[in-house]
Amino acid sequence: MPAPANDELVARWKNRPAPLLPLLHEFHERDGHLSEEALQAVADGLDMPIAELFGTVTFYHHFSREPGCGGRPRFCNGPVCRLAGADEVAADLRAAGHDPAPMPCPGRCDEPVPVLHGGGVLTGRPGGALQSGPSPLPPEPPEGVRECVFAGIREAGRASLEGYRSQGGYEALAKALRDMSPGDVIREIDQSGLAGRGGAGFPTGRKWRAVREAPGGPKTIVCNADEGEPGCFKDRALMDHDPHALLEGMLLAGYATGAERGLVYLRYEYPETFGVLEAAVAEAEGAGLLGGRVLDTEFSFGIVVRRGAGAYICGEETSLLNSLEGRHPFPRNRPPFPVTHGYENLPTAVNNVETLASVPPILAQGPDWYRGLGCDGHAGTKVLSVSGDVRRPGNYEAPIGLPLAELLHDWCGGPPPGRRFRAATMAGLSGGFLGERDFGATLDEPSLRARGSFLGAGGIIVFDDSRDMVAATHNAMEFFAEESCGKCFPCRIGTQRLAERLNGEGPSGFDEWVDEVADLNETMKETSACGLGQAAPLLTESLLRYFPEELRRRMEEGWGT
Amino acid sequence: MGDMKRNGARATLVLDGERLAFAEGETIYEVADRHGRDIPALCYDPRLEPFGGCRLCVVEVEGQRNPVASCATRAEAGMVVRSRTARLEERRRTLVEMVASENRDARVDPLHGYASQEMGALLDRYDARPGRFRGARSGQSRIDDDNPFIGRDYDNCISCYRCVRVCAEQEGDYAISVANRGFSTQIVTEFDGLLKDSACTFCGQCVQTCPTGALADLKALANRDVPGETKTTRTICTYCGVGCSVDVMSRGDKIVGVLPAMDGPANEGALCVKGQFAYDFVHHRDRLATPFVRDRETGELRPASWDKALDRAAEGLGKVVAEHGRHAVYGVASGRAPHEAAYMMQRFIRAGLGTNHIDNCSRA
Amino acid sequence: MSNPLADMEKADVMFCIGTNMTECHPVAATRLKKAIARGARMIVADPRRVPLADLAHVHLPIRVGSDVPLLLAMAHVIVRDGLADEKFMAERTRGGEAFLRHVEPLTCEWASEICEVPARDIEAAAQMYGRASRGAIYYTLGITEHICGVDNVRSLCNLALLTGNFGREGTGVNPMRGQNNIQGAGDSGAIPNNYPGFQPVVDPAAQAKFRQAYGRETDLEEGMTKVTALELAGDRIRAMIVDGENTVVSDPDRNHCEHALKSLDFLVVIDLFMTETAQMADVVFPATAWAETDGVCANTERRVQRLRAAVPPPGEAKPDWWIVSRLAERMGWEGFGFQSAKEVFNELCRLSPTYQGLDWDRIEHGEYHWPVPHADHPGTPRLHEGEFENGRGIFSLTEYRDPAETISDEYPVWLTTGRRLPSYHTRTQTGRSAGIDYLAAEEALEVHPADVAGWGLEDGGWAEMRSPRGNVRIKVRATDRSPMGTVFASFSFDDVPVNVLTGGGYDPATLTAELKVCPVAVHPAAAGEPGTGG
Repeated sequence: MPAPANDELVARWKNRPAPLLPLLHEFHERDGHLSEEALQAVADGLDMPIAELFGTVTFYHHFSREPGCGGRPRFCNGPVCRLAGADEVAADLRAAGHDPAPMPCPGRCDEPVPVLHGGGVLTGRPGGALQSGPSPLPPEPPEGVRECVFAGIREAGRASLEGYRSQGGYEALAKALRDMSPGDVIREIDQSGLAGRGGAGFPTGRKWRAVREAPGGPKTIVCNADEGEPGCFKDRALMDHDPHALLEGMLLAGYATGAERGLVYLRYEYPETFGVLEAAVAEAEGAGLLGGRVLDTEFSFGIVVRRGAGAYICGEETSLLNSLEGRHPFPRNRPPFPVTHGYENLPTAVNNVETLASVPPILAQGPDWYRGLGCDGHAGTKVLSVSGDVRRPGNYEAPIGLPLAELLHDWCGGPPPGRRFRAATMAGLSGGFLGERDFGATLDEPSLRARGSFLGAGGIIVFDDSRDMVAATHNAMEFFAEESCGKCFPCRIGTQRLAERLNGEGPSGFDEWVDEVADLNETMKETSACGLGQAAPLLTESLLRYFPEELRRRMEEGWGT
Repeated sequence: MGDMKRNGARATLVLDGERLAFAEGETIYEVADRHGRDIPALCYDPRLEPFGGCRLCVVEVEGQRNPVASCATRAEAGMVVRSRTARLEERRRTLVEMVASENRDARVDPLHGYASQEMGALLDRYDARPGRFRGARSGQSRIDDDNPFIGRDYDNCISCYRCVRVCAEQEGDYAISVANRGFSTQIVTEFDGLLKDSACTFCGQCVQTCPTGALADLKALANRDVPGETKTTRTICTYCGVGCSVDVMSRGDKIVGVLPAMDGPANEGALCVKGQFAYDFVHHRDRLATPFVRDRETGELRPASWDKALDRAAEGLGKVVAEHGRHAVYGVASGRAPHEAAYMMQRFIRAGLGTNHIDNCSRA
Repeated sequence: MSNPLADMEKADVMFCIGTNMTECHPVAATRLKKAIARGARMIVADPRRVPLADLAHVHLPIRVGSDVPLLLAMAHVIVRDGLADEKFMAERTRGGEAFLRHVEPLTCEWASEICEVPARDIEAAAQMYGRASRGAIYYTLGITEHICGVDNVRSLCNLALLTGNFGREGTGVNPMRGQNNIQGAGDSGAIPNNYPGFQPVVDPAAQAKFRQAYGRETDLEEGMTKVTALELAGDRIRAMIVDGENTVVSDPDRNHCEHALKSLDFLVVIDLFMTETAQMADVVFPATAWAETDGVCANTERRVQRLRAAVPPPGEAKPDWWIVSRLAERMGWEGFGFQSAKEVFNELCRLSPTYQGLDWDRIEHGEYHWPVPHADHPGTPRLHEGEFENGRGIFSLTEYRDPAETISDEYPVWLTTGRRLPSYHTRTQTGRSAGIDYLAAEEALEVHPADVAGWGLEDGGWAEMRSPRGNVRIKVRATDRSPMGTVFASFSFDDVPVNVLTGGGYDPATLTAELKVCPVAVHPAAAGEPGTGG
């Protein structure tokens, strides 16, 4: 079959929702890059200014504009894979005749080192062959632990509609449509204490009520599946192995808020997940669970899946909305918030995968059940992605309030043989480090905020006593500098200056160094426009808090490279 | 604007201890600006949508953990706002020093453009410490862009995107945009080309809103060595019928540049390539500096004194009137000259000759 | 304009016809772009795909000179679909019933045949404008530079009267004036039919007023237009005094025009440069330029604004009013002792009902939309708010007429002329400003790519273009901005004197030349220099 012509591709997407990214992906896959001619065709077809389109395309890592570049394998050089031998894997690829390019963490930290090649994810260790295979399931939790989103995920066939339904899937939806008003659904979610599991922790019931009450429409449920935070890979597991739970959660959100459109914004680096979700959507549509008159009721709801193109900031909900709309993915000013001015400037609930997947079990088993899953008065559970220097990395659904030490020692098997824990990041990289002396902290926001950190999306990267924390901080800061969108000054300049200072390119005197870095930290935390710039300085702050001597030694002994 | 909507009870907020009324939809920055607060900003142009990029305009709002960007935050009834606490001023100073650290020069000739002194003024205001936050510089200049109007010295760019936004929001041209991200951000045309190959119309609006002089009015800069103080004179553009207000910059007898009048009622700060850049015909060597009279013998036009030229013109016209009557003379007024010119021409015909044989060039 | 420029951002449907606004009035066009950005819709009718058409929701590339049938058919659709504003028609217009009968048979299919655009597009445009709650019409010389220019304008007024789009924010029928003070020239009385302030010269009261003001009898009948004067040059017209106009290059039928000026016994020209026209004069007076002259101008929205001198003029150049006053004195006439622009303007204000409330000092501190009937009046940004000047808006039963010349076997191509963004008129000013040549160094004939091939031309090659009045050599530029069968060139470049070709006809009412329509023959030519061929 001949490759489709420009105008065929444009015609295919022009009148569908959120057409820009899928159209660019089509051209990119067809040609291996985005040519000027292709961009001109897209600009004409979607009636976009060509300069704006060009600028927007350059924002995304994934799109190459030179012929041939699109086919290069990309290996993870994120914080976990660096620990696991990313550079060696890249060298192996080079030896095999490839021209590998690095990419930021693609969310396979429980099975390093991932390589994105030929439209799929392969994994391999230094010196070993690359292999393809399904992403790891969550390890079994300790005896007696009660789960919410992972309760059924390990069952065989769970990813199919049949398997999901055989374990009670879509019954919460049926019950809601049959027996509950939208207000009832919102009330139950309110009572459960469910809050945003993507990291922001905003009460889900309140968000939905705001959307329900917002004037204007059509309203939209956007699932934020742009799991870009290094060290976070929980949404991948949920979507790969339990996709219908997400769809059912979105349906319930739609019913509760009065939304009729659902959009999943999936990060580009999860190609297999894209296939799983598309298949699940098709199955659900075939079964009358999606589309017009869901389960023969008056309720209608459709879901489309859109893929990102490699930009961490698109996990920020307003960047994500801009990206979906085909705009430059800068974060928007807030207020107004997406609940009133979201997708296409209309009322929108943006919810994380885990949040949405929690909704069916909560409605099935009741809000009190969910509340009771937490420790010490904290409501519910949180999936934690643990990686790095632990014996059993993986996703664990833990009661909120679990002590960190218990998680790392009892659930994850402790440090590698002969090693001791030194530090662990929180919220992927965004929460900075907790030094080992603070491992007594419980995993809930009040406890962690008191220590200058936060739980966020639940990524925990563990470093043992063999690791160089200055280098780790530098690598992490380079990631933020690379991913800073460039909109606000404190983040655009601050991440760059901090990365330079962590690499010996700053003041040589310790006191002057600390003075500049502390000033940058405070200014970024207080004046950055979004979470990226506010969180990045937590890294340098925690480095100064826990490892000042290591830093001083590095400054005295030289930075090397 | 300040005296608008006085009627009725209006919502108020407290700014630095003072209770101030505001209109629905106003931002904190606008309220503060109306009351002379002079909150610093670099990405702000009152004609554009709030952007919230430079963060210099952050203010403390009671009940909010972090300061908020006043340019992008709507005033709300009962807000308690502080615009100049020691903490805010310290953060602003750091921000100014951070921005200065990415550029080659902070001080540029005012002929660069209307807003070109904003960055330098902030360095003074915050007594920025030189050399702080030293590091890599951002932006790559386009010295290969040989257009004669707009200098593109991105070494001095601070990525406030006022140029991109004015091009899109004010001009609707979308000739430039933001490429890459973070510290690698660069202002580009499509495919990173030259302005003349883009949708650019050379209206110069990007130049006039640039707060650092990274974008420069090259024609004005060419006059930087003209001696004398720069004087500005408010007048109206000489080209089409829109009637844009401009401020003509002159030194001595020479026009050194044109600035758009931000308060011009017809244009509100906008201009086109003609109004912005096509002014130096005024000083062109072809300008007539004396009257000319056709030599009766050679048939050539030769310079003449006013006295001689007026005599000759009066004689020529008088002869026609004497021989063919007053209806044989016709007057054509200009659609380019002021009222006084057209009025006087019709007065010449009507009061002088007593005919209505007068027209202007509106028909061509 | 009936409405202020600011209203351009407030319409919900804009209908732009015969206006290349992004190039000729770029700053006004930015307001349309803002309106579109906030959701307004736009119809553009223009034979060419002018840049404005790229922004339009409906573009009607009508055949040159077919505006009237388009507008009549739009009226037909508006009536047919019940979109007429019956209340407005009943209360504020006259002749509506006859008009409804008039357009009843004038269907889109009928117009489609003449206009050469699909009937459904005409229908869509009509419905879009007809359904607007605030519909605004903008036009420029693409409407007026036709033998039927007056009919075109009247047809536009019909549409606005039919839909009640007058006298409100974001509505109106709005001509965009081309020159910075062409409005002011008319305001000041430099027209053959009106004294200053549009007081008819045939009105006995106005005659009495000016008799008293000027201290002499003036003709009781209207004067002749410039077009007629040129026609009669060397015959009844024996002398001319021309201020600031390069008549030879900007007017149609250049050869005729040159001949006319040559036939005069005496020609006085006032200008900045030794233009092609000035070179034919007996006496040339040097005028002060923009930025050297104090005075007053009025823009397209009737806003009266102050011009100020920033620099002294070169040598002995003088303000136009000074030159004409001194010449009048030298003629031996009384009452021309004016010594300042202020005196001149204040006399104008005293004699003009529209400027009655203005004077030099008031203009110094503000700007006002005329009419300003008295000193406390704030000005009138929007006309026709309460009622029309003459009471009711009157429908006109316009009919289609062919252009003066139509394409034939000998002249099978429509030429239409206009302007380009960087060049102003005959480039006496833009051509002498540094850098402008970077953007527009030479003229080129815009030809549809299919025609380039069909006529044996080459993109970038040369063509010879011929009309009954002459021929020019011109470079060819292939572009689909020109429709097939129609070519475009500007008249800005002296070395490509396109107005050698134009001038086939004039509007009988205004004597405006049909510069927008000129049948020509286009043939390939050998490489060489531009100019008029042998």
